[in-house]
Amino acid sequence: MKSRPFWFSALLHAGLSLACAAVLYPVLWVVKLALSPTEGLSLSANPFPEQVTFDHFRAVLLASDSAGRWLFGRQLFASVAVSGATTLVGLSLAVTAAYALSRYRFPGKESGMQALLLTQMFPATLMTVPLYSLLERLHLLGSLGGLVLVYSTASLPFCVWMLKGYFDTVPRELEEAAVMDGASPGQVFWRVVLPLARPALAVTALFSFMTAWNEFILAATLLDDQSSFTLPVALQRFVGEYKTEWGKFAAGALVVSAPVMALFYALQKHLVGGLTAGGVKG
Amino acid sequence: MCPRLAALLLLCALPAWADAPLRLWHAYRGAEETALEQAVARFTEDTGTKVELLALPYDAFSSKLTAAIPHGVGPDVFLYAHEKLRSFREKALLAPSDARLVRADYLPNALSALTLDGVTYGYPLSLKCLALYYDKDRVSSPPTTTDGWLEQLGQLSQPAQGQFGLAYEAGDFYFHAPFLFGFGGRLFDDAGRAEFQSEPMARSLAFVLGLHRRGYVPEEASGALVKSLFNAHRVAMVISGPWFAGEIDPAIRWGVAPLPTVSTTGKPMSPFLGVEAAFVSSRSTQPDKAQSLAHALSVGDGAFLRTTVGHQVPADLATLRTDAVKRDAFISHFRDAAQSAVPMPHELEMQKMWEPMKLALRALLQGGTTADEAGALADRRYRALHRPAPADASPLPWLAGAGALLLLAAAWAWVTRPREPFRKRYPEAARGLLYVAPAAAGVVTLILVPFAFGIGMSLFHHEPNGSYRFVGGANFADILQSRGYAVTEPLSFYFTLAVTVAWALVNVVLHVGLGLLLALVLKDPLLRLRGVYRVLLILPWAIPNYITALTWKGLFHRQFGAINGLLAALGVEPISWFTRFSTSFAANVVTNTWLGFPFMMVVSLGALQSIPQDLYEAAEVDGASKWTQFRRITLPLLRPALLPSVILGSVWTFNMFNIIYLVSGGEPGGATDILVSEAYRWAFQRNEQYGFAAAYSVLIFCVLWLYTTATRRLTQPEVA
Amino acid sequence: MSSVTLTNVHKAFGTTRIVKGVDLEVRSGEFLVMVGPSGCGKTTLLRLIAGLESPDLGDILIDGARVTDTPPRDRDVAMVFQSYALYPHMTVRENMAFGLELRKLPRKDIQSRVEEAAAQLELSKLLDRKPKELSGGQRQRVAMGRALVRRPKIFLFDEPLSNLDTALRVQMRGELARLHRKLGATMIYVTHDQVEAMTLASRVAVFNGGKLQQVGAPLELYNAPANHFVATFLGSPSMNFLPAHREGTFLKGPGFQLHCPVDLGDLRDVKVGLRPQDLRIQSDGEFTGTVDAVERLGSDGYAFLTTPAGPLVSRFDRGTQVSVGETVKVCLLSNALHVFSSDGEAAILHPGDARPRVEVVA
Repeated sequence: MKSRPFWFSALLHAGLSLACAAVLYPVLWVVKLALSPTEGLSLSANPFPEQVTFDHFRAVLLASDSAGRWLFGRQLFASVAVSGATTLVGLSLAVTAAYALSRYRFPGKESGMQALLLTQMFPATLMTVPLYSLLERLHLLGSLGGLVLVYSTASLPFCVWMLKGYFDTVPRELEEAAVMDGASPGQVFWRVVLPLARPALAVTALFSFMTAWNEFILAATLLDDQSSFTLPVALQRFVGEYKTEWGKFAAGALVVSAPVMALFYALQKHLVGGLTAGGVKG
Repeated sequence: MCPRLAALLLLCALPAWADAPLRLWHAYRGAEETALEQAVARFTEDTGTKVELLALPYDAFSSKLTAAIPHGVGPDVFLYAHEKLRSFREKALLAPSDARLVRADYLPNALSALTLDGVTYGYPLSLKCLALYYDKDRVSSPPTTTDGWLEQLGQLSQPAQGQFGLAYEAGDFYFHAPFLFGFGGRLFDDAGRAEFQSEPMARSLAFVLGLHRRGYVPEEASGALVKSLFNAHRVAMVISGPWFAGEIDPAIRWGVAPLPTVSTTGKPMSPFLGVEAAFVSSRSTQPDKAQSLAHALSVGDGAFLRTTVGHQVPADLATLRTDAVKRDAFISHFRDAAQSAVPMPHELEMQKMWEPMKLALRALLQGGTTADEAGALADRRYRALHRPAPADASPLPWLAGAGALLLLAAAWAWVTRPREPFRKRYPEAARGLLYVAPAAAGVVTLILVPFAFGIGMSLFHHEPNGSYRFVGGANFADILQSRGYAVTEPLSFYFTLAVTVAWALVNVVLHVGLGLLLALVLKDPLLRLRGVYRVLLILPWAIPNYITALTWKGLFHRQFGAINGLLAALGVEPISWFTRFSTSFAANVVTNTWLGFPFMMVVSLGALQSIPQDLYEAAEVDGASKWTQFRRITLPLLRPALLPSVILGSVWTFNMFNIIYLVSGGEPGGATDILVSEAYRWAFQRNEQYGFAAAYSVLIFCVLWLYTTATRRLTQPEVA
Repeated sequence: MSSVTLTNVHKAFGTTRIVKGVDLEVRSGEFLVMVGPSGCGKTTLLRLIAGLESPDLGDILIDGARVTDTPPRDRDVAMVFQSYALYPHMTVRENMAFGLELRKLPRKDIQSRVEEAAAQLELSKLLDRKPKELSGGQRQRVAMGRALVRRPKIFLFDEPLSNLDTALRVQMRGELARLHRKLGATMIYVTHDQVEAMTLASRVAVFNGGKLQQVGAPLELYNAPANHFVATFLGSPSMNFLPAHREGTFLKGPGFQLHCPVDLGDLRDVKVGLRPQDLRIQSDGEFTGTVDAVERLGSDGYAFLTTPAGPLVSRFDRGTQVSVGETVKVCLLSNALHVFSSDGEAAILHPGDARPRVEVVA
């Protein structure tokens, strides 16, 4: 690598700083809303709060219901449980299906893959009505379990495509080597294929998690108990018919976004490799 | 899973038990919620009946009610504004309250708002209508006539300094209605049809336009902006409802007065009256107790608590007569205002007025039409949106067609069946199918079945009472013939399709371009602060997109948005972003690009890393310039890695509802709406035309199908 | 030490028949090399023995026991892959220990076996590295080590040296031979490189078009190839073939006649096979041709000629002057004539034969 002239690096950093500023500006604005004592919009372009108060965060984090139960805590727990379970269920369904689609020949395989892609194309706007009836019939209404099933199947097409693409790049010879080493099909899968697909697993896990973590329409429609509402539903409660409590909404938005940001940060190494097939080289 | 399932079944069975708690659903917040909780606690104390409260987000409330109650899993009592009364009754969600209700207890016009064809539903809880708030430091006495008002406003407004006489949400018909009534207008003509083209309408619009032109009123005012301005002493008067009182900074001395009388007509500016009521569900398993609860909330202690704690304006006469309430100037004012207010009609015709009027108001204020022509504009939109219900069709030919197709498919499968024995062709079929089965079961039941339902729905017409009528291809015919609009007009399918394609194209190009550019820069391992940049630039991906969209909407505000602030600092005229198609579209694109480039950046980073470094070294030796290297090595090798993401990205963008809906909201006049947001509007904002919306969805699906097949066809030979 | 027997093994993928009825006996303790051009079915055959594929027809026996339907792990065979197939997420040590762990060997045994094999292959210092931190030769040795620690009955090699450079290949060839001598295990080795076949093998099996052409000791195959294909495939440069017809005790072709030492009966049309090494450019000889190209190897060289009968390659000694464009004479050393049937399917006569190898049509 040749070293670059100083002015070029300077230009590069200036460009990147500008991009980062553009990215951060709206975020700072949300932060400002969350930290400002008024519930209103800021009337200036300055992205930093003039006065700082943690009232909004306090209101969001310490929310409790009439019985004095710590609502935020319960809803956080519900959110974590639903998103975690969605990730687990979604991933285990996707991993097995993707592996079979990548490795085995069976009737209906090609059309199945096509169908999965097609599901991404039908707008979800009208899905709530039939889904509700369906879950009612399956006796899954009002339960976190039902929500988990809905979420994990919703993210399934993407996950399966992702993982299948990745499995396709895992050389078959590695699996055969494991077979020769005496591994059963299960051991081949657990000890060779899965560890190799870690980046793709990380990405799909993150995707499933986000699907469940950010959704509120279905959660509000399918759940019937305040304390099992997920956080985005609680967040949406700040948007009323006549008025929106912007300060609390912003504080809640930051609280909701924080875990996902943390996950992104933790997984960012894997993200790069995982989204692009071809990461595995012998 | 099994114990959970059992517990669940138990839960489902619960409401059938005799002493199960009553279920009360509402969307109250803050003081109103506290008051409601106290009132309910009082009810439980008095009767021993337990009540389970469920507070819902307003946005999901109505759809949840309509979904849950018919399935028998809804609430016993729910609180809602009366404007949906007819819709709820058509769907048989409501139980009448005549048996328990004592008519003499309530304000008469509150009761009339709840009465439909001689039957009363629910118990009136509180009244909501508009009035004039004023800043006592700046307005000594509130105006009584519009002439006086105009004079005051002229003195109070200094738009150059950001000082305004009045602020209200002028783009919303709810806020315009008092002007219409004040100028002698009416909602419906003698035949009961919504009336847009009338003398009073034109005059009221001209009046409002004058307020804006003279700089008395800030532009594009949202509720949040109105509040901020009032609390910052930058606006002297505000038109708003009782909910506004809780939003005012305690440091401000304020008063509330009735809206003035229009000087030229001598008529008062009567606002709409909204009545919030406790409705009893038609499917309540404990109707008597439910009626008691709803009744208890509306009178006596319930009403008193809601008034004193929740600052609601009660409809209960006894409460209004108590000293504590009488002394409250705020409550008594709104009681007076309510008595002269016009109960919001619950006719379906009313529902059809909102969108055309919103269009006309915004077009007027943005300079897109004149006060005289705005009514015609609204009328045209009205006619376009509310097509006559299509005629019944016989399902027989469709069934026969489907049957024939099925037969043909079966015949085809038989003719092209593989000659090899199954076992030889698919040696691992059993294991493969076994692995796929759980996922397939999930996808089939929870995705494909609802899909099939959606596709089927496109052949039906959804009646206001919730039933479906088979109409064959009528929905499709209407959409594809672009019935009601010229082909080149916003809202015609083809226009919206063109916008959608442009939207997807521009976005994907920007996402990929920006993502790739940043990836190329960030790929360099020698770059300092690389990790920091990467983490920061990925941030937009991690934030839920509805939050992003709302934030950007604020940034694009004409007068107070940061973007125009920046432009002003650069010496550029501020831009009215949502008044023209080009800028409105650009605002959507900017938001979505901000949101979408990190994904492509990460994909590109991964793809770039998979290109062997020695290729570049070889090119370097061959004397290729950086640009040539990029064009001849990077791009061709990136293509296969990027292609799936690009296809998926364009499909997602094509259906990116949140951004369009929350940022431009289709402005101006629905021009920036894409197919999905259009489908949403047909389903949820235009009298629940689910069948029509489903037909839109099917068409979206077809377009995307064509697109992906074409892309794969075009790129396959090179990729393979 | 184990033997492997294949009887009438068939294998097809879809409609493509890859292995078309192979009978083969691999003797206990021998180093059998399977050679052939790509697509001849040799790798498939190896995978059939490994158990990675199952035959459509026919049987595979190890030590006389039928293993046709036995999964690979119960066959006690180890395989070294062409691409090495090292597990990228495991260190060298873990790679080598993996098979033993799966067999639930005690930890101590695993460790000692791994270290022993590592010492043998000079990998001791690399045990805690990941495969991507190794050079090509080192990876190759790890792949061998992974097979070695298993101490299997049979070793299978699928072109293990094809990704190495020439020097390394020669060195590894030597090590493989040493290993075989030391372990005395049965080894089956697939390659398309005839030099590997000739230098390593106890016996060579030559395949073409999914069929076994000939099996035998390397020299046996070189001296007495069963048909045209085997004759061409072994030996470099390849054997010359010229069409000829018998006239009495002479085989005549365009511009040449050769004396046939054995009575070929009534046979008329044949092909004569002449190894370039058995031809010399001299002042006088049976063939006359024009020199197209010359390859000098130092001690001797090969000339590529055009003769009236067709192209011909001939060796020449160091002292002989040969230049391109020149017309030269070529003579066949005595007792070096191979005769094949005119279609090349069968060998009729090899040097030293007293009788034709096939029943000559009367």
